[in-house]
Amino acid sequence: MGTTLFIEDVTVGMEAPELRHLLTRTDLVRYAGASGDFNPMHHDEVLATAAGQPSVFGHGMLSMGFLGTAISHFVGAGRLVDFSVRFSRQTWPGEELITRVAVTMVREEDGQHLVDLDVSLSNADGEVKVVGQATASLPTKS
Amino acid sequence: MAEDRFLTDLIGVTTSVSTVVVERGPVAYFAEAVFDDDPIYRDPEAAREAGFDAIPVPPTFPFVMESWGKLAELQVAVEEQGEGLAPALAVLKARGGLILHGEQSFHYYRPIKVGDVLKGTGVIVDAYAKESKGATMSFLVNEVTWSDAETDEPVLTTRFNVIHRL
Repeated sequence: MGTTLFIEDVTVGMEAPELRHLLTRTDLVRYAGASGDFNPMHHDEVLATAAGQPSVFGHGMLSMGFLGTAISHFVGAGRLVDFSVRFSRQTWPGEELITRVAVTMVREEDGQHLVDLDVSLSNADGEVKVVGQATASLPTKS
Repeated sequence: MAEDRFLTDLIGVTTSVSTVVVERGPVAYFAEAVFDDDPIYRDPEAAREAGFDAIPVPPTFPFVMESWGKLAELQVAVEEQGEGLAPALAVLKARGGLILHGEQSFHYYRPIKVGDVLKGTGVIVDAYAKESKGATMSFLVNEVTWSDAETDEPVLTTRFNVIHRL
């Protein structure tokens, strides 16, 4: 936030500052309202436990959204060209979620200066929740 | 395994036709919901300082923009709007098993900003089944192509992959 990331500042292997968030049931309700996704598995503990779940669990798109926050803080808002993920595990209230954003390639294509990123979201035990890739187009200093 | 005609017949089906308006309040609230405190999503001056002529949206906002931005008076007739993936998922659910959001992707042609009016068309671009570890996995891929309602220029393509595990 605030400072611009230029292509000249980026090297392969570089990692963005990790973001951490302790997930609460209130977070799930807020995301339900903001997204319009009112699947009760994400906010109704009675229905979720009746369906055999240990508790309510997080929206997959909340996990991807939190990763998007970490990526945007690194490359800057509006810089993304591609962002894709695979959802591998559910997230649970009480878990601390940790973002990882790492540079895998710096390249030029059609006059654009691109940076490829490996991205993932894990809990504090290292269990991977979401894994994916992103590409951003960055400005140059010249 | 035998081809699942129900699935292959879904390929090419139009799932949605919609027009959305990107509004400031829902964008700021969405940023809050994905734990993003960047003033660029709330303050027009902060957006201008970052080089935008209007407030931009967080990367995954396009996934939800139909929820609050699909203003009724801007839509085509109800029977032309498509029924989403619901009818297809209902058939799969009736077979039992679990429906999961497997993958999600976004391809951005330009930043989406508050004040944009966007047109989107969703199409099932792939549908197939395969056996995996004794389970039947069915895959549906819904692609939504968004363009600027004024200029027709491409803005965004999203892909939503659903897995049905039986």
